[in-house]
Amino acid sequence: MSNEITIKIDGIEYKTQEGEYILNAARANDIFIPAICYLTRCSPTLACRICLVEADGKRVYACNAKVKDGMEVTTSTEEILEERRAIMEVYDVNHPLQCGVCDQSGECELQNYTLELGVDSQSYMIPDTKREATDWSSVLHYDPGLCIVCERCTTVCKDMIGDAAIKTGPRGGTALDKGLKDTMPKDAYAMWNKLQKSVIVPSNGTGQTDCSDCGECVAVCPVGALVSRDFVYTTNAWDLKRIPATCAHCSSGCQIYYETKPTSIEDSSEKIYRVTNEWNYVSLCGAGRFGYDFENRVEGKDSEAFGSAVAALKKAETIRFNSVISNEEALMLQTFKEKRGVKLVNQDAYAFQKFLKAYSRPAGKLLYGSDFKEVMKSDFVISVGSALRNDNPNARYAFNNVQKMNKGAGLYFHPVGDTLVPTFGKNVECFAHKPGLEEAALYLILDLFAKKEDLPEKVVSYLDGFHSKGRKTIKERVMESITETVVDKETGNAKEVTKKVPKMVEKEVEVENNALVTLLGGSDSFADTFEKMMKKKERFSLIVGEDLYFHPKAENLAALLAMIESTCGMEVVMVPPKTNSLGVALICDLDESPAGYTVGYNEPGDFVLSALGDGDLDMPAMNQQEGTLTNMNKQVTPTNAALEYHGYELNDLMSAVGLGRHLTVDWTPALAEKRGFQAFAFDDLPNGYSNSGEEQRGYALKNPGKRAGNNMPQAFDEDMALDGEIAYRCNPQRQFNDFSDKAHQIFETFALYASPERAEALGEKVEVDFGSGTLACSVVADERMEGDIVKIPDFKSSKDIYTLFGRDRYKNVTIRKV
Amino acid sequence: MEIVNVAVLPEVTSAGVIIKAIIILAIISAIAGFGTYLERKILAFMQRRLGPMHVGPYGLLQIAADGIKLFTKEDIVPQNANKLIFKVAPAITAATAFIALAAVPVFPDFTIPEWIPLLGGTFVPSIAADINIGVLFILGMMAAGLYGPLLAGMAQANKWGIIGSARTAIQFLSYEVVTGLSILAPIMLVGSLSLVEFNNYQQGGFSSWMMWQQPVAFVLFLIAGFAETNRTPFDLLEHEAEVVSGYATEYSGMRWGMFFIGEYANMITVSVLAAVIFMGGYNDLGFIAGWLIVVLKIAFVFFLMLWVRASWPHIRPDQLMWLCWKVLMPVAVVNVVITGFVMMV
Amino acid sequence: MSLEQFKNRNVGSQTYKMIESEPTPESGMGRFGQVVKRTFKGELFVGLYVTMREMINALFIGEMHTVKYPLEKLPISPRYRAIHDMLRLLESGHYRCIGCGLCEKICISDCIKMDTRYDENQRKEVSEYTINFGRCIFCGYCAEVCPELAIVHGGRYENASEQRAGFSLFEDMLTPIDALKDQKEFDGFGAVTPNADNAIKKTPLAY
Repeated sequence: MSNEITIKIDGIEYKTQEGEYILNAARANDIFIPAICYLTRCSPTLACRICLVEADGKRVYACNAKVKDGMEVTTSTEEILEERRAIMEVYDVNHPLQCGVCDQSGECELQNYTLELGVDSQSYMIPDTKREATDWSSVLHYDPGLCIVCERCTTVCKDMIGDAAIKTGPRGGTALDKGLKDTMPKDAYAMWNKLQKSVIVPSNGTGQTDCSDCGECVAVCPVGALVSRDFVYTTNAWDLKRIPATCAHCSSGCQIYYETKPTSIEDSSEKIYRVTNEWNYVSLCGAGRFGYDFENRVEGKDSEAFGSAVAALKKAETIRFNSVISNEEALMLQTFKEKRGVKLVNQDAYAFQKFLKAYSRPAGKLLYGSDFKEVMKSDFVISVGSALRNDNPNARYAFNNVQKMNKGAGLYFHPVGDTLVPTFGKNVECFAHKPGLEEAALYLILDLFAKKEDLPEKVVSYLDGFHSKGRKTIKERVMESITETVVDKETGNAKEVTKKVPKMVEKEVEVENNALVTLLGGSDSFADTFEKMMKKKERFSLIVGEDLYFHPKAENLAALLAMIESTCGMEVVMVPPKTNSLGVALICDLDESPAGYTVGYNEPGDFVLSALGDGDLDMPAMNQQEGTLTNMNKQVTPTNAALEYHGYELNDLMSAVGLGRHLTVDWTPALAEKRGFQAFAFDDLPNGYSNSGEEQRGYALKNPGKRAGNNMPQAFDEDMALDGEIAYRCNPQRQFNDFSDKAHQIFETFALYASPERAEALGEKVEVDFGSGTLACSVVADERMEGDIVKIPDFKSSKDIYTLFGRDRYKNVTIRKV
Repeated sequence: MEIVNVAVLPEVTSAGVIIKAIIILAIISAIAGFGTYLERKILAFMQRRLGPMHVGPYGLLQIAADGIKLFTKEDIVPQNANKLIFKVAPAITAATAFIALAAVPVFPDFTIPEWIPLLGGTFVPSIAADINIGVLFILGMMAAGLYGPLLAGMAQANKWGIIGSARTAIQFLSYEVVTGLSILAPIMLVGSLSLVEFNNYQQGGFSSWMMWQQPVAFVLFLIAGFAETNRTPFDLLEHEAEVVSGYATEYSGMRWGMFFIGEYANMITVSVLAAVIFMGGYNDLGFIAGWLIVVLKIAFVFFLMLWVRASWPHIRPDQLMWLCWKVLMPVAVVNVVITGFVMMV
Repeated sequence: MSLEQFKNRNVGSQTYKMIESEPTPESGMGRFGQVVKRTFKGELFVGLYVTMREMINALFIGEMHTVKYPLEKLPISPRYRAIHDMLRLLESGHYRCIGCGLCEKICISDCIKMDTRYDENQRKEVSEYTINFGRCIFCGYCAEVCPELAIVHGGRYENASEQRAGFSLFEDMLTPIDALKDQKEFDGFGAVTPNADNAIKKTPLAY
């Protein structure tokens, strides 16, 4: 897409991409330009002004200026250094000298740059303002005294996360002496002027943030001002051991580091103190960052339980498991199935597997074509069938990031109304359609984006059937000139003044009605809006979610997707329902329902292997074992054991039945026997990012192509739409599975979630009748939900929610107050 | 000059001699023990230390503590030692030291009061065996004492012991010559080997002391006495820095204690000899009673040994031999010859 | 600091003083003469005099050097590195330790451990602190690295124990609050240099 150009930095030629910022170009080439406020993947904030460089003789900010072919950049001159030094001096004014206790404990950018620029004396001063430390939420702790208002937190919250839960507010400090403007360096003065006036506050004005508690602001904070509440003053960064891993909560499979240290003086067993990430290149969600203590502490090997587990495995007819499982374990189970002929039941992955198969036949390839890194580069993003706020944080971050960074537009098709998604950007259009009409949404996409000549005739005519012409009265604002005579009271002179005054006039225009839009609940003016949205758009992407896999007509949806991908110039990416659903779907040969004696792995069963500590035999949790996970970016990423585990693992059980290998990770190269996977030894898999932000984690799945099959989607049935009381299987924002639930910093309870109005109507406790069974739970109001559909979470495997919902994600239920 | 009339004295009975022997044994043993205390104290003072302080007042009961320790310590006999000789050797040292004391007049004569049953009226002589070759006997016994260290060192199957016993042999044998020759001149003057005669010879008060007539012999005797008693600066037999503990390396408990007692008994013997032969004996000195003055003299010589130990370094074996055969022995011979000439002229 | 004084290895040429010694006699007669000379020169008696003098001085002038140790103790150098003390602030009496963890990090025998937490006054509080004196080698790095002069070496050097590991808790080392007025600054590693004030640039505060 972008062209390679050559620039000169400090006299040396480097190759870089057109349209890149100077700072990123320099970083990609290992050249250091100091910068505090800039975040890769976010828009430049221009708060710190320290990235000042000279480009072609002009002073520019490296984070904000784009490279041009042949540009000559000088990263530091005497003047620039003086400016930078002044900036750092200003940052140091009144900064508390409590580095000794500060949680940043040396990982501090303020400290680094102060030393880097050789600030050894202070020439500026101003009276300090009293600033109290506060807790913003259950996890966020903010000490404005330490804050240098670089605004990285607000930038990431807005541009990446999409919550925009924090902003700069007034500090109430003494105003700067205007005389300084002449005596001190220009940029330092400007920076100080702004710094002295502002501090970070929650943007809703209450002192409490109303956000998804992802903690990304904590991660990006260059100083110790923003810290997680649980971490405050508990340890120094240098005492922590960093273990590169992959987050095990959702299918994003984000790169994380578990940071561990002995629990206390008395207890020398390792404990995870926090989770950090390469925040320039990956953003975590609340579960990933704070839901880390789900380990299964096992003191020793319980050989008795192991014996009965082996016996249970030998007589098992079904093994039931979920997708919080590594590829290796999935392969073990599949091997077991091949040798012993048991049934493998995994409810979340089963639907996804079926959907993938249905997709790959007409699409002619194993997997969906795109991934979320590509989505982030697009400028028009569509989401169908995914509760963006809840299903997968990275899908939501990508959707938001496209709006913020690429001046993009977005379409969001989802039956459950959400107040957050429209705030991502002004070009976001939401369709709160009825459940079951996902096919209509895909047809609409075909209608809007497909090149008609590529579509089969049948489809074109089918789509045309929805179009009709009509007349409509609209109100239009017209500027009208009015001439008045104004008499000046003092002089008595009369004067004629001509003003322009807006006026609404009614006008009848011819409009083209699209029945699909109406059906999906779109506004009448969608056609105009869409026209605006489509301006200057080049790259399109489509995110599809779990609703489609659990749709009764999933196969038709898959066929439609394949058609969209081939005709709309749009790459499709699917959100796997659970952590490793994609891996499981590719590795295991799944069965629909259990039968006979069932061994459950983290799932209910007659004999339960559990990493939660409540089963018949303990298993290691994902932060206690090595292995690989397949994430939604089609990447097989390694994760390492952060905490020790003294019990038995699945490989031991396999060894006991004669199928085991020496180590669990010895199964990693064997994955290659499954389609898409490759034969890499576990120890050869990297897990990190390069300086230019290139992901170097594990390996990418191969996506072998084949001849595209017959691709003729069926017409949709409007009667599929569900009406009445509907429950939607959907987790709260920071809950994904039993493990996130086990973590002590994740508070979202297992309850029925409803919009505030609905929650009020339902009362405190309800009983939900699914027809096949009932579920009693309390009601929690979700401020950001709209409409009457209620959400019932599935993160607790013990509640067996998948069975209650059956093959659907939306279910007609009867809700009774209790 | 008071002439002691032997006939006036009561008869010396065997019971008296045995009592005397027991007294000597008991008292000298005690004094030997006390000597260790004194040595430690005096060395400490000279090094500005306090010395033993904790057992009893001023550490006086340290001797008892040491005694208890030595008696109760395990008696170890090395596996490859010649067990009989190893066991007998300490006894030789102690025995010869005490036998030598038999001919030394210690304490005046007395008669056990009549009222004491059984032994009442027994006369206890000042000297256990008043033989007329007293000096010769003493020197002989002390020379015989060399068998203790010699056998001990050879019996214990230890190289340090062997070296220690070899040194014993050369040192004791060499210095026996010097002792004998140095004392020969006074014997020539007195004309008797009896210590009583020596004492009587010096009855003329301070100026009649033998050391004024025979200063060279006195000095030689003192030097040889140090060597005979294995004292610094001639403590080559058991010098820690060179041969661990020399002939006593493998000894422990009371066997080692017997060597110690023997050494101190020998020190007392040498002190007594020096006091009687050279320093006026037990004659009254002015107003000071004879028994007191002799105790003071003996004490001084004993103190001198400790004083010297605190002050001087010890010498090498070759220096010791050189000193003996090339300096002291010729000087002693010359001294005898000159004395003879003076007597003849 | 210049290392020149350590690099000059010509031992004997600087501060050493050679003892004047006579030439070794060549002939037997010479050696005999040396013996006679030494015998009568009185050197030996000087030796005797010296020891006697010392004894008299010790006994009567009171120059006895012995210290009856458990009963009497010699004052130790303020720079001596014995069992650690935790000092308090003189004004408020609050303990000085801020829980920065530098001592824990620098400890080369890895014997210092600390747990910290966020306390009610929004300060970092040391909830638990131990030093394993079985491992401590009293190198003084902890006192040197301490930014608050909080952990210092004290004068308690009698630390024989029946166990190898001997843990000391924060409270054991902390100056008792009633002994605050007797608290002494440590002069050893990590102490403020006498001219520290001259070596720093002051931050302007004249608003």
